[in-house]
Amino acid sequence: MQMLSEDDLNLRSMSDEELEAAWDLWFDLAQETNAFDPAYSHGVLVGWTPGPPRPTRVPARRSASASSASCETDLSRRRSPEG
Amino acid sequence: MANIYFELTREFNRDEPIALLASGQAVVFYRIAMMSKDGDWVIGESPEACDRVRAVLAARGARHRPSPPLDVRWLAGGWSSHFEFTDDRARRVRCDFFSRPPRVALARIQEMFGAGVSRDGLLVVDPETLVRMKQTQRAKDYPAIGEIARLLPGDVELRYTTDPDRILVLASSVTAAIDRPSVQAAREAAGRERVVVELAREIDSMQQRDRARVERYLAASARYLEEFRRARVDEMPLSEAHQRACGLAERWLPTAPSGLEERHADAQ
Repeated sequence: MQMLSEDDLNLRSMSDEELEAAWDLWFDLAQETNAFDPAYSHGVLVGWTPGPPRPTRVPARRSASASSASCETDLSRRRSPEG
Repeated sequence: MANIYFELTREFNRDEPIALLASGQAVVFYRIAMMSKDGDWVIGESPEACDRVRAVLAARGARHRPSPPLDVRWLAGGWSSHFEFTDDRARRVRCDFFSRPPRVALARIQEMFGAGVSRDGLLVVDPETLVRMKQTQRAKDYPAIGEIARLLPGDVELRYTTDPDRILVLASSVTAAIDRPSVQAAREAAGRERVVVELAREIDSMQQRDRARVERYLAASARYLEEFRRARVDEMPLSEAHQRACGLAERWLPTAPSGLEERHADAQ
């Protein structure tokens, strides 16, 4: 019984370089689903779900412009996938 | 472009073998399937190996995801440690580490590290170890096991394969004793349907065992993970995050969950 697709099984005919290039392309496309991934897919924390998003830290001095405040929020989100 | 996880494996092992590529990326390495966008490694259980991995990750701007510290005290208890960074093409790279993969004997891990670095540092777990690691609670791992098992000699394949047709073929050609109800059914000529049913029961049993094991870890880590998030350790530079995570773990995280203290020294 063939348990995987032809696309998967075709990997066996690739050179090392072709395999790495194919994976790199696949990895680019797979980024599109990052937001839907569980926190953990391996290890002993599989199934753990983070709590509600934490509030973004408020800078001690709010002299920054509105646009830089927005950048900080984005960066915080990027660094905290559970948030 | 190279596979970032293959590249990291070479970098971890630049001076000595300290990290074996495992799980989904090992499946890619063996040309079974494009299974995972994360990287998982079996790390050598030494402070030097942990230091090296943290240094490589820190140089790439990684953050410590909510998880136990990458420290031998918790690794030896079966815990896993998790990190993430964004690469120069704005792609999310997740890196997971453990030193005691479930269902794998410690002696086997030591043998793999003892074999030295092959292929310019691209050190990968062997197919039998990969099969054992894949016997998880996730349904998608079992088709992969069937394909990985084909890389093994027939008598070893028969111990692990999840392909009923391979069981039917190998059960008559392999004479070694195999303690599997599905193999027993095939050898008794009980019919394909019976082999399929026994195989489904075996898989369900493995999934239930893995689920029960993971639940012990989740229960034991709840307070630690809560404190980790509260302290925003995942927003700190890695060296600071490691120190903070160790401090929290010393207070809130047992080195092994209750009831698993003895078993963690060998295959679970």
